[in-house]
Amino acid sequence: MASQTFFEDVREGQEIPSLRKDVSPVSILMYVASVWLMDRIHFDQPFATQRRGLPGVVAPGNMGGDYYAQLLSEFAGDDGQVRKMSFQFRNFMLADDVLEVGGRIVKKYMSEGKGIVDLELWIKNQGQVNCVPGKGLVALPFRKG
Amino acid sequence: MAGEPQRTEGKDQGGTLKGSLLEELGWTKYVGQDTGTWTGEPVLARDVRRYALAIDDPNPIYRDPGAARKVGGLVAPLFYVTWAVGVPGSERGTKELGEDGLATFVGIPDIPNVWDLGWVRGGEEIEFFERVHVGDRVTVNGKIVDMKEKEGKSGKLLLVTSEFVYTNQAGEKLATHRLTMIGTPRKEAGHG
Repeated sequence: MASQTFFEDVREGQEIPSLRKDVSPVSILMYVASVWLMDRIHFDQPFATQRRGLPGVVAPGNMGGDYYAQLLSEFAGDDGQVRKMSFQFRNFMLADDVLEVGGRIVKKYMSEGKGIVDLELWIKNQGQVNCVPGKGLVALPFRKG
Repeated sequence: MAGEPQRTEGKDQGGTLKGSLLEELGWTKYVGQDTGTWTGEPVLARDVRRYALAIDDPNPIYRDPGAARKVGGLVAPLFYVTWAVGVPGSERGTKELGEDGLATFVGIPDIPNVWDLGWVRGGEEIEFFERVHVGDRVTVNGKIVDMKEKEGKSGKLLLVTSEFVYTNQAGEKLATHRLTMIGTPRKEAGHG
C-alpha cells in the first residue's frame, strides 16, 4: 500500500490519486457470480437491448460502490477511515468501458477531534461522461499524534 | 433452502403515500414496511477473494492472512457488506426465476406486479462503522422508507427507497445503507 496520507498534508481543491478500471464482460460475470446476482441485464445482450432498451450489457451499479470504496480506502491508508459514501447512477457503465475513478477534496475540517475530508467523486467513461457522481467522507490521521 | 439467509424477525407496518401509478399498483401500503431481519451464513474466504478479483482491488488484506493480521484477519472489501447476507430468496432453480433471472427484489418482497417494471439502481448512501471479517455472520434489517413517482423521458418512473442496517454476530453495527431503486415500464407489457 502507498505511504500514509496525513490530514495536515491535504488541501481543499486537491485531486486524490485516481484508479483506472477496465470493465469487461468477464469482470461483470465474475462480480455477478461471486454474489449470485443473476439479473440478465448484466450478461444477456439481446435481453438487455431488445427487452429492456439498454445500450448494451451493463455493469451492476454496485461495482461503482466498490470502485469508490477502493479509491477512498487507498487515499485513507491504513490509519485513516472511510466513513461515508453516496452516489447516484446517472449513466450506465457498460462492458468494455474504460473508467477513471477519481475524487477531489472539497472541504477539510475538524470534527470531534478527527481530521475530516469531504470529497466529490466521479466515475468517468472513455467519453468523459460521469456515470456515477458521488461524495465521500474520510477521516485522516494527524502527522503529530 | 438451508443455505439461504434466514428471516429472524420482521412484521408488516402500515404507510400512506399519494401517487396514481403507485395507487394503481396498490403499493402505497408498503411504505414504512419492515422487510425483515435476515442473517447470512459465515462469510467465506473464497467468496471475498473472488469478489476482490472481480472489482480488481489488489489489497492483500482480502486474500493474504499474513497481510491481513494488521486488521485482525482477512476482511472483505468495504462495500461487500451489502452482499454479506446474500439476497433472501434469490437461490432458486431456473424454472422458478422471473424473466430477468431474478426471483426477488431487494427491499420489496412479494409485491404483486413487481415484474411489470424493470428495475435498476438509482442511488445509494452508506456509512461504515466496522469491517466484515471472513467467518462473520452478518445480519441485516431492512425497511422501505419511501416510494415516489416521477415523469421520466419515456414515461413514469417509480423510485423505491429502502434502508438497511448491518450488524455482525457480536451485535456490532457494521454499516447503514440507503438504496433507491428505479422502476421503469418494460418495452412490452406484462411478464411471462
